[in-house]
Amino acid sequence: MIWVKRIIFALLILCGIAFVIYGAPRRDDKIPADFVVIRYWEKWTGNEGAQMQQIVDDFNRTVGREKKIFVRYMSMSNVDKKTLVAISAGVPPDIAGMWDQQVAQFAALGAIEPLDELATAHGITEQTYTPVYWNGCRYDGKLYALVSTPAAIALHYNRKVFSENAAALRAAGLDPDRPPRTLEEMDRYAEILTKRGPFGRIDRAGYLPLQSWYVPFTSYWFGQEIFDPKTQKFQLDAPQFIRAFEWIQSYSRKMGAKPIQDFISAHPQDNFDTPQNPFLTDTLIMQQQGPWQANYIDHLNPSMSRVLVPKDQEPTLPRRTDNYSWAVAPFPSAVPGLEDVSFCSFDALMIPTGTKHKNEAFEFIAYVNRQNVCEKLNMLHCKNTQLRSVSRNFIAKHPNPYIDVFQKLAASPNARGVPPVPIWPQVAKELNDAGQAVALENADPREVLTRAQARLQAEYDRFRAIDLKRREQQQQQHQLAQRK
Amino acid sequence: MTREQRRNLLKGLAFCSPWLLGFLLFTALPIALSLYYSFCDYALTAPDRAPVWVGIANYRQLWGDELFWKALGTTFRYAAMALPAGVLVSLGLALMLNANIRGQTIYRAVIFLPSLVPATAAAMLWLWMFNGRFGLFNNLLERLGVGGLNWLSTDLALPSLALMSVWGVGNTVVIYLAGLQDVPRELLEAAEIDGADRFGRLVHVTLPMLSPVIFFNLVMAIIGTFSVLTVPYIMTRGGPNNATYFYTMYGYDTAFTYLRMGYASALAWVQLLIIMALTALAFWSARKWVHYV
Amino acid sequence: MSDLSAPAVSRRRPSRFSWDKAAVHFGLLCVCAGFMLPLVWLLSTSMKTIEQTGEYPPRFVPHPWQPQNYLKLFHHSNFRLATYTRNTVIITILTVTGTTLSSALVAYGFARIPFRGSGVLFGIMLATIMIPFPVTMVSLFRIFRWLDVHTPIQFLGTFKPLWLPAWFGNAFCIFLLRQFFRTVPRELSEAARIDGCSELGIFTRIILPLSKPALATVALFSFTWTWNDFLGPLVYLHEPDQHTLALGLQAFQSQHGGTEWHLLMAASALVCLPVLILFFLTQRTFIQGIATTGGK
Repeated sequence: MIWVKRIIFALLILCGIAFVIYGAPRRDDKIPADFVVIRYWEKWTGNEGAQMQQIVDDFNRTVGREKKIFVRYMSMSNVDKKTLVAISAGVPPDIAGMWDQQVAQFAALGAIEPLDELATAHGITEQTYTPVYWNGCRYDGKLYALVSTPAAIALHYNRKVFSENAAALRAAGLDPDRPPRTLEEMDRYAEILTKRGPFGRIDRAGYLPLQSWYVPFTSYWFGQEIFDPKTQKFQLDAPQFIRAFEWIQSYSRKMGAKPIQDFISAHPQDNFDTPQNPFLTDTLIMQQQGPWQANYIDHLNPSMSRVLVPKDQEPTLPRRTDNYSWAVAPFPSAVPGLEDVSFCSFDALMIPTGTKHKNEAFEFIAYVNRQNVCEKLNMLHCKNTQLRSVSRNFIAKHPNPYIDVFQKLAASPNARGVPPVPIWPQVAKELNDAGQAVALENADPREVLTRAQARLQAEYDRFRAIDLKRREQQQQQHQLAQRK
Repeated sequence: MTREQRRNLLKGLAFCSPWLLGFLLFTALPIALSLYYSFCDYALTAPDRAPVWVGIANYRQLWGDELFWKALGTTFRYAAMALPAGVLVSLGLALMLNANIRGQTIYRAVIFLPSLVPATAAAMLWLWMFNGRFGLFNNLLERLGVGGLNWLSTDLALPSLALMSVWGVGNTVVIYLAGLQDVPRELLEAAEIDGADRFGRLVHVTLPMLSPVIFFNLVMAIIGTFSVLTVPYIMTRGGPNNATYFYTMYGYDTAFTYLRMGYASALAWVQLLIIMALTALAFWSARKWVHYV
Repeated sequence: MSDLSAPAVSRRRPSRFSWDKAAVHFGLLCVCAGFMLPLVWLLSTSMKTIEQTGEYPPRFVPHPWQPQNYLKLFHHSNFRLATYTRNTVIITILTVTGTTLSSALVAYGFARIPFRGSGVLFGIMLATIMIPFPVTMVSLFRIFRWLDVHTPIQFLGTFKPLWLPAWFGNAFCIFLLRQFFRTVPRELSEAARIDGCSELGIFTRIILPLSKPALATVALFSFTWTWNDFLGPLVYLHEPDQHTLALGLQAFQSQHGGTEWHLLMAASALVCLPVLILFFLTQRTFIQGIATTGGK
């Protein structure tokens, strides 16, 4: 018995040694010694990661080879947190691929480098970009990021279910052949298309505000900003903001908070990339989503996009979208006359402070923003583009037949992005919590939002005061140093 | 001091020097720094971002911070569920294992096994078991005819986590087992002769003899419960709606998501004070019920 | 102080059947079944395909089963099993060696050298067990950063912050070893001292050889803690190439769904495996070791 134990023990040790020797991360690429290696941390894994890897490979083969730069793509989870800690540790990546939400926070913390000079040197100016994306890349008068892939949010609706319930819709005075045009109309569509089961269970939901990933931005469709840069004040207690959250709560009143919570737990956010995505199973009829949805539908439930003929025969149809049982329209607003409202987010490329290869890193960022590269990447990722100039090929050959809707929404004057506040993680948490409190726990929207407003405003004022103090301290030290 | 005493002092300090150095560098200095940071605003992102002294502003903000109180309450509520459950279950299991039965080694091994599973693996496993649609628990319940539960909802999340913590009582059980071995047989036999039934022997002999061990485990459990971070971090990320937003999670988020190291240090110090207070409370109450032999 | 060499259960007269014993057996069986259920489920899920994991009603024994999930782990794009294992092995070996050696040294000082203030220092050491990780988390980070800037050695971004503190002793292990060292008869070290042996000599030639079980226990504890550690790597390891196994399991958590539960369970099983194997090899030492810490 003891010999068996000893043998197993020895085997364990041998395994350990084997892993140490052979487990070293293998690099299949052979990079010449005089090349600058750029470490690029990005959030995308799976298909999206592979698609970005294509772009990275393109760069390495062309511009990289010419300028002796090699970009190494590394995908990781929680890339924003890891990058922040890595910057604090003094070992940051050369390019960090994060989101628009990080621009203001990281810039205010001095974690990322301003890119104005480099951008102008590469010919990327305000005229190159659609305004909403350009503004999103700026903070405090400087440019801190550039876009890798943008997005715009719109209403996705299930045309098939619409037409199946045509009679009921018409009886209520609604048109089953077109999407709702106002928010109030959408509520009525949703009510008719909702099917309940035993014990009040929601078997099919017309629409659910909490299902959306963009609850904090609900006020945009009520014509209300989250933050006013001129007065430097949050607007959470503005009447329209409260109305927005009352609207979120109205669904809980109509359908019951518990059935909604059960529905959400049965279809959590993290089953978006599975065949059980409720939009794909006709369980959620209308949804607030971005242009990538078409890709996921193609992968997970292609029948939604190939109703009549296979994809390669689509050109024979009078309109390509005749083949689709789903469609896209601008998400309706609650304010009459306010059209084409959208929340425009984007994936951002930033250069952390402390990197040694800022110029080389920017070469890659500039490459990704060339029109042909940008369009290739966004066609692969199934998103719209951030550039003002769009080729006809992009619109015609794009996998998403409704891409023109997204382009229009991004260029609309009512397109809004993440507000430029350096405490965005706190704001996002407060607004998401408020949405849940209002929808699931029947809290009073006015109360919840007023308290959130007080907390966030205090936090923001505190941040600004400290920032000011710190700048004064730095100036004093500077003057002391100069005097010596 | 005599020469011998001085020699012993030098020798003792020499042997203890690794710990002394480590204590100064990795414990005492960080704690002192942490106290200093708790009076500053500090964002660690670049070397030139020096801390800005703000006095007691962090503590004042803490006092009025709703999320702080909510996280504290959540941690206390969790402790109120997990601590008694843990103590009762582990004690009960130890008593059962101590009965003169065969196969004790196997039972003991099985009970000890879950405490060896890494927290991340355990969290993922239980997350999968709690899943509303595919989870094991709901499927078992549905087979029994009872409907499935929403295990990680705002109401049930804390009890579910407390249930999961009971799964890992293995090492506590083993400590109790060892303590039970040391209960003198003579006392038990004397009590039996005096007419005490099994329950009486348990309450009047076994438990008092075991009280130092119970006390030790209680203190360890208090410290552990108030420092819980890994499991909720992976399973629920503090949700839904802060139902499982434990105190340590708030501290971690404040430090590494919002980058407010000063405020995070203040939170950490309050946590330390609370743990010390609870431990002191345990020590004070120990006088009433812990019998040292 | 219980004698480490004696088995935990002393042999008594063979037990007769009684309803009490049956009840105890029944209770223990239920509890053990409950404790094993999650682990069995782990194994079962680890050998399913992704479609089988979504089956309703779920089956315990997948049919057909897929043990090749474990092989798939070696080639997974996100979860780099070989690299993570290598990192974990390196960190663990460095930590275990450091902890055992330094804790033994310090414990000897506390146990066998009567110096003034040893009681106070020992008490302080015990108190440090109480300090929760968040209190020192940020400051430690800052200290390492300062060391990075002011010394030629790079700490952050390497494994050093994880294993270096271990070489300065671990309070729990020191406590354990001190309790054990005190049981070694004083005559042995007295005799050696008379023979002219230095204190260090007594330590290495007399105490250490006698303490093999205790040292093994400390090594096992240290191994388990380090192998399973999540928070340390979370704070100090940023590059995916540096992640450890416990941290790397997070790689399966997809943000928008499509979590590969079957692969995740297989990976979890693999991560648990070394600790479980070591446990079965050294069951007696492990459990005796824990037993000796109980409040004595």
